[in-house]
Amino acid sequence: MMELKNKEDILEMLEGYGKIVLFGDSGCAQMCDVGGILQLEDMTDFLTDHGKDVLGYVFVEGGLCDEFATKQELENHKEMLEKADAFLVQACGVATQNLTEMIPEKISLPAVDSDFLGTMPERFHHDERCSMCGECVLHLTGGICPITRCAKGLLNGPCGGSMDGMCERDEDTECAWQLIYDRLKEIDKLDNIKRIWEMKDWSKEHGPKTVVHEAKDALFQ
Amino acid sequence: MQTHLSRLLEDDEFVVTAEVGPPHGADEQLLVHRVIQVKDYCDALNLTDNVRGIPTMSSMVCSHFVRDCGVEPVMQMSARDRNRILFESELYGAYALGIRNVCFMTGDHSLLGSHPEAKMVYDLDSIQALQLASHLMSGKDLAGDELEGTPHFYLGATFNPYADPLELQAWRVNKKHEAGARFFQTQAIYGITRFEKFMGCLDVNAIKILVGIIPLKGPRMARFMNRKIPGIKIPESMIQRLVDAGDGLSGNEKRGAVRSEGIRIALETIEKVRAINGVDGVHIMGVGWEESIPTLVEEAGLYPRPKKGE
Repeated sequence: MMELKNKEDILEMLEGYGKIVLFGDSGCAQMCDVGGILQLEDMTDFLTDHGKDVLGYVFVEGGLCDEFATKQELENHKEMLEKADAFLVQACGVATQNLTEMIPEKISLPAVDSDFLGTMPERFHHDERCSMCGECVLHLTGGICPITRCAKGLLNGPCGGSMDGMCERDEDTECAWQLIYDRLKEIDKLDNIKRIWEMKDWSKEHGPKTVVHEAKDALFQ
Repeated sequence: MQTHLSRLLEDDEFVVTAEVGPPHGADEQLLVHRVIQVKDYCDALNLTDNVRGIPTMSSMVCSHFVRDCGVEPVMQMSARDRNRILFESELYGAYALGIRNVCFMTGDHSLLGSHPEAKMVYDLDSIQALQLASHLMSGKDLAGDELEGTPHFYLGATFNPYADPLELQAWRVNKKHEAGARFFQTQAIYGITRFEKFMGCLDVNAIKILVGIIPLKGPRMARFMNRKIPGIKIPESMIQRLVDAGDGLSGNEKRGAVRSEGIRIALETIEKVRAINGVDGVHIMGVGWEESIPTLVEEAGLYPRPKKGE
């Protein structure tokens, strides 16, 4: 889930840069309505109205996180990219960093704030679902993540602020532990949360992380 | 670990603990003033830990001053603001300062307080914090390294009978007991029915329970608490009593009448909870109205308190 930064911040970020190329993709950027074709066109109009020379845009089918697909598109737009003073990336932080690494001689700037990993039950609606903590417990909680969906990320929850199924934080947030309790009751697995859950190994969450997969012939070899 | 508090609880004395709010700043004299007001009316005194995420003087430092005033402190520790490293370090420090009673809580969400921009910690929850404190008493830290001086605490925790889901909240009390909690303080009790139901789900012989009492200053405070304090449920009928008490009066007269009604409600609650099997005492929280504590303790027939060592 990501949102476009406000227009003033984008203009301020682009101060001193005249010729701009925009970036978007058909993956998360389009799903979040920040870097689909429509938003790239809107941004072109907006920047043009504010005296910028928008040379065009690069739109990657799939995601800007896919280096292979992105390199292909960069190759297709080589001439345009060479003329640019700056790239404005209407996709997540991974995309901006990818472009910085691929074309270090140009400056890549983020047009969006990346918020969370989640689901999209309908357009314009996003719910956070995963914190990438490195140690999944969904098998014990009936498929509902307490780390992400409890406002305090509690493992032996709920806290004393849970009332009528809602979280103490605000009246619109469901208590994740109420959801977990209801679900486990439904599937007859309440024993999962009767015992104490030990302290979590947060070292699995701490970045920066790098994973190098060995080539594998079969799963779990 | 034997403390004055633990001794009284084990002797089946009906215990009175109280709570004072640490200063919102560096003036320890303010704290001392509040402590002196209530010291003779309680067996131990709780020092809250940045309630609602509003910064106040450290509960450990306040506990130290409370000891200097001749009262046994109960140091509260919230999981919101600490990771396991700080928990360990502060527990060593607290023990060295002579603090023996420690009460762990989850801590209110910081969005409810004055510093909503803060990054919350929640490395451990209150149950895991109890496990950690119990572990330290074995003489080793979490890494397995030998401690240079082993702390011994009388550990406590909290529960809120009004929180949901009830069954799971009751299991949490069991988990806290298993993790090392010997005494429990409850959220402020108003409606008795739900509290009785909750007590019915607990093994009350295994734990000591102090019932939370917050005297109401008036209907505005009651409504504010219902709205803003997590886990509080004050029945509308009680709020109406406060409104009625001030009806037709004004100024100081009205204030006095409403406050007296607040005291009456608290006294009735104390009387009712005393009759419930498994209740071992009351935990009176003044929340800025410390003067109410001596009145409540005297009028509830709980004064004088047993002297230390008796």
